[in-house]
Amino acid sequence: MDFYLGMIQIIGVHTLLGLSAYCVLLTGQVSMAQAGFFAIGAYVAGMLTVLAQWALIPALGVAGLMAGAVACAIGFPALRVKGLMLVVATVAFGEAVRLFFFNFDYQVARGEIKMGPHGGEGFRQIRYFPEHGWSTLDVALFVWTVVVLVMAGLWWMDRSRAGAVLRAVGEDELAAQSAGINITAVKVSAMTVGGVIAGLGGGTFAHYTTHIEHIQFGVVLATFAIAYPILGGLSNVFGTLLAVIFIQGFLVEGLRFLGDWRNLLFGGLILLAMNLRPRGLLDAKAVAALRRLFPGGKERSGAQAHGAQ
Amino acid sequence: MDLLDLIDLVQSIADGILFGATYAMLGIGFTLIFGVMHKINLSYAAASVGAAYASLLLMTGVSVPAPVVFVFAALCGGAIGLVVYVVCFRFIPRANPLATLMSTVGLLLLIDEVIVHATDGGAKSYPALFSDVIIAAGAFNLRGDLMFVFALGCVSMVVLLLLLYRTRLGLATRAMSQQPLAAQLCGISVDRTNALTFVITGVVGGMAGAMIGAAIGVLSPLLSLPLTVKGLIVTVIGGLGSIPGAIIAGLLVGGFENFFQFFRGVSERDLYVMLLLFVFLVFRPGGLFAPAAGRD
Repeated sequence: MDFYLGMIQIIGVHTLLGLSAYCVLLTGQVSMAQAGFFAIGAYVAGMLTVLAQWALIPALGVAGLMAGAVACAIGFPALRVKGLMLVVATVAFGEAVRLFFFNFDYQVARGEIKMGPHGGEGFRQIRYFPEHGWSTLDVALFVWTVVVLVMAGLWWMDRSRAGAVLRAVGEDELAAQSAGINITAVKVSAMTVGGVIAGLGGGTFAHYTTHIEHIQFGVVLATFAIAYPILGGLSNVFGTLLAVIFIQGFLVEGLRFLGDWRNLLFGGLILLAMNLRPRGLLDAKAVAALRRLFPGGKERSGAQAHGAQ
Repeated sequence: MDLLDLIDLVQSIADGILFGATYAMLGIGFTLIFGVMHKINLSYAAASVGAAYASLLLMTGVSVPAPVVFVFAALCGGAIGLVVYVVCFRFIPRANPLATLMSTVGLLLLIDEVIVHATDGGAKSYPALFSDVIIAAGAFNLRGDLMFVFALGCVSMVVLLLLLYRTRLGLATRAMSQQPLAAQLCGISVDRTNALTFVITGVVGGMAGAMIGAAIGVLSPLLSLPLTVKGLIVTVIGGLGSIPGAIIAGLLVGGFENFFQFFRGVSERDLYVMLLLFVFLVFRPGGLFAPAAGRD
């Protein structure tokens, strides 16, 4: 049972990571910096609960705000460029964050043992959950409460004016600019919101794994972050969730019986999925088809299908 | 700092610049594909390492001289380039850059895993040429294998420039990169030109992979991600779509890397390369030789 609960936690945290990239992708920008924000969230939340003895929820809040502030600050110079340049700039930022934590040493002696981030060895003993007697089920419920809140927030944002503005910038920057939208402000806000979500995800991640180190936050994690929304499709937030379940649940855990061959299939299946469904697993067409199958709340869905095209 | 330190520093930078030839070639590959397709091929560095691995297959059965291995690496690179085009680009709509980005990432993971699967993930030694030759120039020593790598890099860059600016294929490639629609109207086949560009970049990549193997002495699947990052950085610093820019940026990054390795150690080295990139993005977002058309 604990195995499945652990998997549910992993899926939850990765959904947060994917949703943070989803925000930025809506504006048409590919950001590989999400792993960097995730790392900042993880280290900040971990240091607050372990070294400063904060409670978990304020620590997560501060971690989210920190990551969001860094995302906002990095957004201004980075979003001057777009396309490939942005990919490279954000890859470099993510790597710089990782290398910073690789060289980051801040330990405090607590009783017998020293605690805190210790350079390349990482940050051990983030033991908030065991110390406060949380069971695995509690942790899984907590992770998913955060995920559901974030997803509901994004779902609401998607259907409000803000979502329309984000998508307008993503579809055609020039047209959006002509319509009087300040595209820099929109992109930087999307980046900031993405940073906050990644920070929350990172904070949760640090607490359930109890040990974080720099190598976990490399280019591979950044690639996963953008892989979820692209693979799932950008038509709504459930695409990202579906892709996380597909990758983490099916490709990573479900194919474990294949042993070595699983890793080979992993890349191959992503290739296949992109060739067969270039707009994502849950693209606008699939959403429309689902609507026809379950025709509930017709007027609302009609308006939304119109918006999705 | 006394004289000995200074000599060490210059020596280290010189080695870096010589090794930078491999970065330059990776940068050329990224730039060429971006120029023609306006898309990123993230699997490029992995394919280059893969080509170098494939050339090692030749060594297992028969003992062949090292130059043959290099040539074979280039050929394998060309073949892999064609596969990359067919699998990642050919059947995905042109208007969807995100999908090709993802498919090349998928291929990157696939190539890495194929390598790990075939070699059990361990590092394999790679033959070097002229590794016993050391040219003494005053107080400095120039390593023969690095010199060879550098020379090979220069020769392949010249050949590539000739190919692009003196042949009909090069003309078609450049036409595609400037105005795809007009090029099509002139009777240039899009698929054929794109596929040939991928083969050419694959050959360059195969050479780069072999050179990296020869310069480091070993090949490891762990190389492909850092090389992807370095290749992309070189592309951006040089200016997207600019071949001379990629060459100069490659040598610059190579020298810079060793400069900081000398002062700050190997664990902080890449941090400063990233900072160099940020300096460029802030003060010169178009890179060294940005084409006038813009910076996307």
